[in-house]
Amino acid sequence: MASTRSKNGWFIWLTFAVGLLLSVSPMPQFMEVFRPMWLAMLLAFWSLSLPHKVGMTTAFLLGLAEDVLYGTLLGQNALILTLITFLVLSLQQRLRMFPMWQQSLVILVIFGIAQLIQLWLSALTGNRLPTLALVWSAVISALLWPWISFALRDLRKRLNIN
Amino acid sequence: MRLLVLVVLSIALMVVDARFAVLKPVRSQMGLVLMESYLITDLPQRLWQGVAGQFGSRTELIAENEKLRTEGLLLQGRLQKLAALTEQNVRLRELLNSSALVNEKVEVAELIGVDPNPFTHRILINKGERDGVFLGQPVLDARGLMGQVVELMPYTARVLLLTDTTHSIPVQINRNGLRAIASGTGNPERLELRHVADTADVKEGDLLVSSGMGQRFPAGYPVATVNEVIHDSGQPFAIVRAIPTAALNRSRYMLLVFTDSRSAEQRATDAAMAQEEADRRGISGAAAPVEGQTPAAGPQGTAPTAPAGAAPSAPVPATPAGVAPAVPSRPTVTAPAMPPAPAAPAATVPARPAATPVAPAQPRRE
Repeated sequence: MASTRSKNGWFIWLTFAVGLLLSVSPMPQFMEVFRPMWLAMLLAFWSLSLPHKVGMTTAFLLGLAEDVLYGTLLGQNALILTLITFLVLSLQQRLRMFPMWQQSLVILVIFGIAQLIQLWLSALTGNRLPTLALVWSAVISALLWPWISFALRDLRKRLNIN
Repeated sequence: MRLLVLVVLSIALMVVDARFAVLKPVRSQMGLVLMESYLITDLPQRLWQGVAGQFGSRTELIAENEKLRTEGLLLQGRLQKLAALTEQNVRLRELLNSSALVNEKVEVAELIGVDPNPFTHRILINKGERDGVFLGQPVLDARGLMGQVVELMPYTARVLLLTDTTHSIPVQINRNGLRAIASGTGNPERLELRHVADTADVKEGDLLVSSGMGQRFPAGYPVATVNEVIHDSGQPFAIVRAIPTAALNRSRYMLLVFTDSRSAEQRATDAAMAQEEADRRGISGAAAPVEGQTPAAGPQGTAPTAPAGAAPSAPVPATPAGVAPAVPSRPTVTAPAMPPAPAAPAATVPARPAATPVAPAQPRRE
C-alpha cells in the first residue's frame, strides 16, 4: 500500500505544476477576467479525495508560489488558498455525498467568499481593483468543476492514487 | 489549529513583505525557479514563430530585407545629424552651466509574460538583476516610454507600465514646456493629466515628453499624445486625456535605459569626450558620406545661438571658438584638425582661445 502511494504521488504534483502553468498562461485581454482559479480547483479536488495527502500546508506552499508568479504580496494568495482548503476540508464529509451540481454550488460559494477576501486584501494593500468582476472567475470555476472533477477522478482511478 | 497557524503566518508574511525588504531575496530566488513557467507557457507561441520564420517565403524575406535596408538608411541619415546635434547640445549646455543626459546606455530586453491579473498593467522581461537591471529603471520601446522596473529576480524583472492605475509620470508638453503629471487609468490606451488648470495651453495633438522631474525617468522621451481636452465648468481642472506613444500592449522588444549617477558636469564632459572619440574613430574608418552632412548641421545651429548665450559672460570670445572647432574638425581628415578636438570638451576656458586660430581656418579651406 505504501509503495503504491509513493509511486503515484508524483501525479498530484504534476497536476499542481500544470495548474501553475495554466494560471499564468497568456489569454486574450478581455478573457483575463474569466480566468478560472485553477490552483484552487485542483486543491479542492485533491483535498476532497485525498485529505490525508493534500491539506492546508500544501495549499499554503502553492499559494506562495502563486504570489511569486503574480508579484502580489507574499502570503496573499497563500492565505486565500489556505482558507479555501480549510472550507473544503471542513465540508468534506458532506461534499463527497453531494451530487455534482450541488458540489458545484458549494464550490461557487466557497470560491466566491475567497475572491471577496482577495478583493478586500488587495484594497488593503493598495492595489485597488475597481470592480466585483473578480467574482466571475469563481463562477467560471464552479461551471468547470464537474468536468475537472470527473476527469481527475477518472485519472485517479486509473493511476490508482490513494 | 493548523489553519490558525497558517493564516497568522501568511498575514505576517504580507506585512513583512509590504513594509520591509527582508523577504526580497527569498522572493527573487523563488522567482528564479517559478518564472520558468512564463517561459514554458510562452513556448508554443515561440515555436510557432520559429516555424513561421523557417518557412517564410523567399519573396517575403526579400521584401522585408528591402524594407529594413531602407529603414536602416533613413535612420543612419538621421543619426549623422544627431551626432552633430548631440555635440552641439552638450556644448551649449556647458555654456549654460547645465547639463542633461545625452548619451544613455540601453540594453534590449524581450517580453516573456504578461501579468495574469487583468486589473494591473505589468509585464515580465527576460533581463534581471544579473544583467545589471535595477529597481526603478526606465523601459522604452521604439516609440516612447513604457514604464519602470518594479521587481527584480535574478534573470527576469517585472515592469510596471505607464497605464497602471498606480503609476504616474512627470511630463512636459513638448510645444511649450508646460509641466504636468500623467497618471495611468487602467486602460492601456489612455493616460490622464492630473490637475491641469482650465486655462492651461493644452491642445489636441500635443506631444508629451518626460520632464525628468522625478529623477526617475530621463528627460525628453516621448510619453503620449494628447487626444482629448475637456473643459467642464463644473470641474476645478480641465480633463486632459492622452494616448501613450509606446505600443504598451503590443511591443515584444524593449529597451532598458541605464542612466548614471555622475554629476551633471561630469556627464556632459564625458559624453563630449566619448563623442569625440567615436567621431575620430568614425573618420579613420573612412565613413565618407557620413561626414558630408555634418558641417551643414553644425555651423547653422551654433552660429546664432552661441554669441547670444555667451554675451553677458566674461569668456565671450573664447566660447564661440570652443563650439566651432569641434564641428568642422570632423569633416577634415587632415592632421591639424586633431589637436583642438580633445581640448574643447575639457571645459577649461583658457584652453579654448588656443584653439581659435585653427578653427576659422578650416571652414574656409572647405
